[in-house]
Amino acid sequence: MNSHNEIEKLPSRAWYEQLNLLNVLLLIFLFLTIFSGKNLMDENRPADVISGFKYFVKKFFPPDFSDFSLILESLGETFQIAIVSTFIAVIFSLVIAIGASRNVSPSWLVQTTRMFLNITRTLPSLIWAFLFVIFFGPTPIAGVFALTFYSLGYLGKFFSESFESMDIKVARGLKLIGANPVQAFLYGLWPNVKAQVWSQSLWMLEYNIRSASIIGLVGAGGIGMELNKAMEMASGFQRVTAILICILFIVILLDLLGQGIRRWITQKVNPKSISD
Amino acid sequence: MTILRTDRLGLIRNQKWLFQNLNIEIPGGSLVAILGPSGVGKSSLLSCLSGSETPNEGKIEFEINNGEIKNTQSIRPELGIIFQNLRLTEHVTVLENVLYGKIAHYGLKESILGFPKPDQQKAYQILSDLGIGKLAYKWTSQTSGGEQQRTAIARTLFQSPQIILADEPVSNLDTYYAGRVMGLFRNLATIEKKIIFCALHDPQLISRFADFALSLNPEHPEGWNLRKVKPKK
Repeated sequence: MNSHNEIEKLPSRAWYEQLNLLNVLLLIFLFLTIFSGKNLMDENRPADVISGFKYFVKKFFPPDFSDFSLILESLGETFQIAIVSTFIAVIFSLVIAIGASRNVSPSWLVQTTRMFLNITRTLPSLIWAFLFVIFFGPTPIAGVFALTFYSLGYLGKFFSESFESMDIKVARGLKLIGANPVQAFLYGLWPNVKAQVWSQSLWMLEYNIRSASIIGLVGAGGIGMELNKAMEMASGFQRVTAILICILFIVILLDLLGQGIRRWITQKVNPKSISD
Repeated sequence: MTILRTDRLGLIRNQKWLFQNLNIEIPGGSLVAILGPSGVGKSSLLSCLSGSETPNEGKIEFEINNGEIKNTQSIRPELGIIFQNLRLTEHVTVLENVLYGKIAHYGLKESILGFPKPDQQKAYQILSDLGIGKLAYKWTSQTSGGEQQRTAIARTLFQSPQIILADEPVSNLDTYYAGRVMGLFRNLATIEKKIIFCALHDPQLISRFADFALSLNPEHPEGWNLRKVKPKK
């Protein structure tokens, strides 16, 4: 207690300590946006939004579902590309991930495989597709290769991170009481990573179905190829709308389904992770 | 009857000999307690005996029934290990972890079709004897430390090896189950002529259950001592 009833003064801080940095950042962004927007508008003719919108509606609506069976067929092809490439990528990634895990592999191997994974991840799937279309011509095979390589980069990274978070001692312990290396992996390591690997693979499948619908734009098969054809036709815009609606529908459906399955897997296989 | 023999065994850890010139011969039917303060090398000695660590000096051999000599590699299926940190697979059931004890006898068939029913029944029986039968189908990760320790013990009992190496197997158990587990070990030694090594702290358990006490000396690596424990009246 202060016996003299003196008011204790709040210690002062330097002016820069009083700034709320996040608010300052927000102001900077606001300023940059106004400045850039003005710049962009200056150089181009301001768009006539209303007539543009009228033109858009007239050209794109109503959606033309007359070739619905063709759309379904190429959607099917999209699915097939995604499923095949995801499956191949999962198998290869499991092997590559062992090489990229610090707790099991020597460091030179870890460095090399990580470099490879980084490179495959740097190129977007559309560029991979473009490259493989040059290799194989405009076929779904090009799409399969493109998505396989793209997925390798992601899955290899995900899986190796899962492996690294595991306690390798369990598998070593099983080896000491007579397990062979395959059994040691199967009973000592795999049960603990299984849920993560499944969940990551399903995420990749979802992602690949989305990618598979655009890589057709450069000729790698699937619904994207139909989209491309429709765009090039003078009267094809209403078909473009129909195709886009189909893609949207599928992607939303898939998203919900994938989320549900992944939640089920994590709860079933790893009940502890419900809380995190 | 199996005989465990070490010949001038020595191990260096952090540029320091933990033990040296360790010559012991343990006949089947013995329960050996390893004692000494923490960090003296009890776990390291067990690691050497289990073959997970290579000694810097000397060798370990096992003489089995017909006089055949085996080393730590070739004896593996007959070697049961209870690790200090248990090393159970977390995301499988308690029962499966117990079944892994006989992993050396299983092959591709079991990994696809699952483990044989009679084995499952036997594993369940062992769990029940240790008071955790009702946990058989629970995820191991959801059980407590003491329950996991009993699971690891059950795994080794199910394996039923000639030699059991146990690193503080009862550290997480209450007096009742500690006595019960040590009693089971005692019977395995006396009746089935197995060799059991236990790192132990509790002097009461040692005097009640052990045949030999092997103590390591932190000051002198060659100052180890193997003595017979006086039978309790």
